[in-house]
Amino acid sequence: MLLSFDWTQLAQQVVIGLASGGVWATLAVALVLIYRSTGVVNFAQGEMAMFSTFIAWSLVHHGLSYWGAFFLTIAISFVGGVAVERAVIRPIERAPVLTVVIVTLGLFFLVNGAARWIWTPETRSLPNAFSTRPITVAGVAFSIQDLGTIAVSLAAVTLLWLFFRFTKLGLASRAAASNPVASRLVGVRVSWMLALGWGLAAAMGAISGMLTAPALASFDQNLMQPVLLYAFAGAVLGGIDSAFGAVAGTLLLGVLINLLGTYVDWVGTELRLPAALAVILAVLLVRPAGLFGRAAERRV
Amino acid sequence: MRRRALGISLWLLAVAAVLVVYALEPRLVSDFHSRDLAHAGVFFIAIVGLNLLTGYTGQISLGHGALMAIGGYTSAALVVHEHWRDVWTIPLAGIAAGIVGFLIGLPALRLSGLYLALATFAFAVAMPSLLKKFSGLTGGGQGLRLLEEAPLQVTGLSGTVTVFGHTTTQNHFLYYLTWGIGLLGFLAAWLIVRGRLGRTFRAVRDSEVAAASAGVDLARTKTLAFALSGVYAGVAGSLLAIQDEIVNPLSFTFLLSILILVGTVVGGLGSLPGMVLGAFFVQYLPDLSTRVSSAQGVPDFVYGAAIILVMILLPTGAGGLLRRLARPLTTRLYLRP
Amino acid sequence: MTRHIYLILCAAGALILATVASGAGAPGVTSSEVVIGGTTPLSGPASAYQSVAKGAAAYFRYVNAHGGVSKRKIKYIYKNDAYDPSKTVELTRELVQQDKVFAIFNSLGTEHNLATRSYLNALKVPQLFVASGATTFGKDYKKYPWTIAYQPNYRAEGTIYGRYVAKTTPKARIGVLYQNDDYGKDLLAGLRNGLGKKVKRIVAKQNYDITDSDVRSQIAKLKAAKANTLMLFATPTFAIAAYYAASTLGWRPKVYVNAVSSAANVMGIATAATSRKQTEGSISIVFLKDPTDAHWKKDPGVKLYRTIMKRYKGGNPNDVYAVYGMSVAHTFVAALKKAGKNLTRPRIMRAATRLTIKNDPFLLPGITVRTTASDHFPLDQAKLERYHNGHWVSFGGLFRVR
Repeated sequence: MLLSFDWTQLAQQVVIGLASGGVWATLAVALVLIYRSTGVVNFAQGEMAMFSTFIAWSLVHHGLSYWGAFFLTIAISFVGGVAVERAVIRPIERAPVLTVVIVTLGLFFLVNGAARWIWTPETRSLPNAFSTRPITVAGVAFSIQDLGTIAVSLAAVTLLWLFFRFTKLGLASRAAASNPVASRLVGVRVSWMLALGWGLAAAMGAISGMLTAPALASFDQNLMQPVLLYAFAGAVLGGIDSAFGAVAGTLLLGVLINLLGTYVDWVGTELRLPAALAVILAVLLVRPAGLFGRAAERRV
Repeated sequence: MRRRALGISLWLLAVAAVLVVYALEPRLVSDFHSRDLAHAGVFFIAIVGLNLLTGYTGQISLGHGALMAIGGYTSAALVVHEHWRDVWTIPLAGIAAGIVGFLIGLPALRLSGLYLALATFAFAVAMPSLLKKFSGLTGGGQGLRLLEEAPLQVTGLSGTVTVFGHTTTQNHFLYYLTWGIGLLGFLAAWLIVRGRLGRTFRAVRDSEVAAASAGVDLARTKTLAFALSGVYAGVAGSLLAIQDEIVNPLSFTFLLSILILVGTVVGGLGSLPGMVLGAFFVQYLPDLSTRVSSAQGVPDFVYGAAIILVMILLPTGAGGLLRRLARPLTTRLYLRP
Repeated sequence: MTRHIYLILCAAGALILATVASGAGAPGVTSSEVVIGGTTPLSGPASAYQSVAKGAAAYFRYVNAHGGVSKRKIKYIYKNDAYDPSKTVELTRELVQQDKVFAIFNSLGTEHNLATRSYLNALKVPQLFVASGATTFGKDYKKYPWTIAYQPNYRAEGTIYGRYVAKTTPKARIGVLYQNDDYGKDLLAGLRNGLGKKVKRIVAKQNYDITDSDVRSQIAKLKAAKANTLMLFATPTFAIAAYYAASTLGWRPKVYVNAVSSAANVMGIATAATSRKQTEGSISIVFLKDPTDAHWKKDPGVKLYRTIMKRYKGGNPNDVYAVYGMSVAHTFVAALKKAGKNLTRPRIMRAATRLTIKNDPFLLPGITVRTTASDHFPLDQAKLERYHNGHWVSFGGLFRVR
């Protein structure tokens, strides 16, 4: 079927894609953080983010304001991330990488089960942080919520970048990730740097969850499962060693998925995700380190 | 000399014990539970295959469930559309999955580690959608139901099966079929691992650059590893379809790929004997978790906790444990004083 | 060809029966107990539906506490298939061969019950009150006489919406958002059926998969096709997301939302996230009493429901799936009573297909659970309802959902 070209429709789908990508961006950053510090993809990142979202809901339910709950949840999630690393990752710090991957898979089930046990599986909702009144510009509709989501994601990533670049702790953390042996020699407590990484990742994940829930207007324990895949794909597309790359990658992915679904009829809605993933793989074959990543040297 | 003879005779004893247990299973296990055991056998075959790829060649795959889907659907489609007898579809299912495995192996030449994980992850996540899309062949959302659509091609429909003059029940037949193929597959894997190809695999795993500079053809090795493990996964998927008499997209989600990987790592990467334990772990743990409590969320919680505990206590899996336990014996046998 | 297959299944069934040792009397029945079993997702993403089993279990405990039926207590075993049809097959076999249940009852899922239907019919094991809205479970009774459905089927529900639109707003431009599985497709097929000659009023269709993270793109496409009526054939999370997406696009179509997603708390969330005006006028059908709707607060049926849920630990009482579970359990108990003291499988099937229950406390007043030899749809009545000022208000009479 040929469509006579509708520029408004194109712009609208791009805007929606950016809004979706903005929601996934902070989870992608969380994945990057853990990948850089521990060397694995944390498959439980989404579930931890979901758990944080439930904590936020409980806080709001008990009378806290949205922003109060927002920041308190970030703090709680940070502590939770550190606790998870100490309890579950530290014992296997020296184990093969795949062992750690399996542990994150175990965490996936454990955290999901815990969330279902503590909070019954009804549909709940988190209040919106920003206005959801539609604003229309040249026939394209969006809301302050969309802008707010992207703004919060960018702010979070920027703060993180500032932390790593300009603070002593951030420097120590980067050192520990890139050369643990040398770092220990200069007195960096590498093990605690890992825990810091997990704490920050959990905080990022919490932000992602608290942005995803209002974007869907409701949430339940399945909230973050699709988002994990999008975040992973977006992070890899952007370059797994770069937080800003991860943000760019997820925004691009959001737009790509929507455009594929809208304009390639054969793909339709059922195959838009596989099609987008195929595109990412094609990109990786050409640029193996992702769009904004640095090519890694192979150590012999 | 004496030590060598002792070593060989111990091995022969072990092999004989395994064969005896295999043959006498109907006396040890009830008819009904043989089916569960056959199911564990399916996991065993898939896990051995994945171990060849991940444990020995160092290539990660999060998509083995999808390769099992290829095998399972190939079998089911041949039975339902072409009216083949179910058991004769197994080799073709293996080959089909092997070809797909080879195709997946091609990008692996350029991607490694994380990127390969994403590629195989993507394949696993996309599989149910792909299965639903090509519904003419796959039966779409409803899948293919062998019992309903081609009952004549199902072995053991009447409840008993006669092979070479011996008659057993359908459940026991499925057990023999699955574990028989499993033992053959195990033997093949063992021969591969011991031989030149196994050494080449391990060389690629330990250092690609070193292997390449020693003359190993990385492309050929990696794609071969993928293809081989694909064959195993395809055979496993085919046996699954034959046992369950149904294939459905909901049975081949990303969860299956996770289960195979968990079983492989719990069994012990790079260790073939542990694979049996890995298969049992994956087969029986979900059920046991539900037995602890069926309150909302508790089975998943217990399941996750069990996986984490096992990995913390046994980071190298059951195979690692077995190796440590057998060390006093093997050092005695194989090391000079 | 069909008859050929049917004969083979019967022969196979007879042979299987011969091999599966069966003692004297019906399996699962003793003088003090009748054992029934089913499968339900207790883990994984679909585990929210387990309330269908838990509500029924609570109701059976209540009945047992009051003496049971014909002095027999009902033992209801439900096993976890994690929403995987191949596990459903495995577990159903286990229930029949190991646990030796009298009947399979209230197993959940369309593909799941389809997977076990041939096996159960071949063995002449009753497959009672399947928890699925697929039409085939009630329609194909000639081929599968041991199977019977319960809830009003999805195709019939879609037909009602189609007929209503054709009658009241024949010039509507309809956009459809449907879930990409049998449930969504059945509703869509029913809609097309109900629209009849007006089927061209459907100007756009968009589907989504449960693995999707949002439906904004699809809603944008429906809006771009200039639809003014929106059919939401979606599960609660996605229905809410659709309302929200429409509001952020500044689109306010007339909405028809399917029964699965019309519970009062779901609509409440949708309204809170958007505005009163966005959900005002939405239309749905209803057959159960919704415990989260203030309208039923003082109703004796709902009070009984809440009491049973509390005393017999049925789970979260605000869960409308649990109400469904109690209703289907209530119907089973009625069939059990009708089958009499001499309980056999043919007798329970006969009772289940000759039901007339007028006083189910959990269904809307006036609904009769009715089955006959040629009508294997126990529930085929519903009312249309309209969402007004934050409440559902039913209008018109009860009519046949066929």
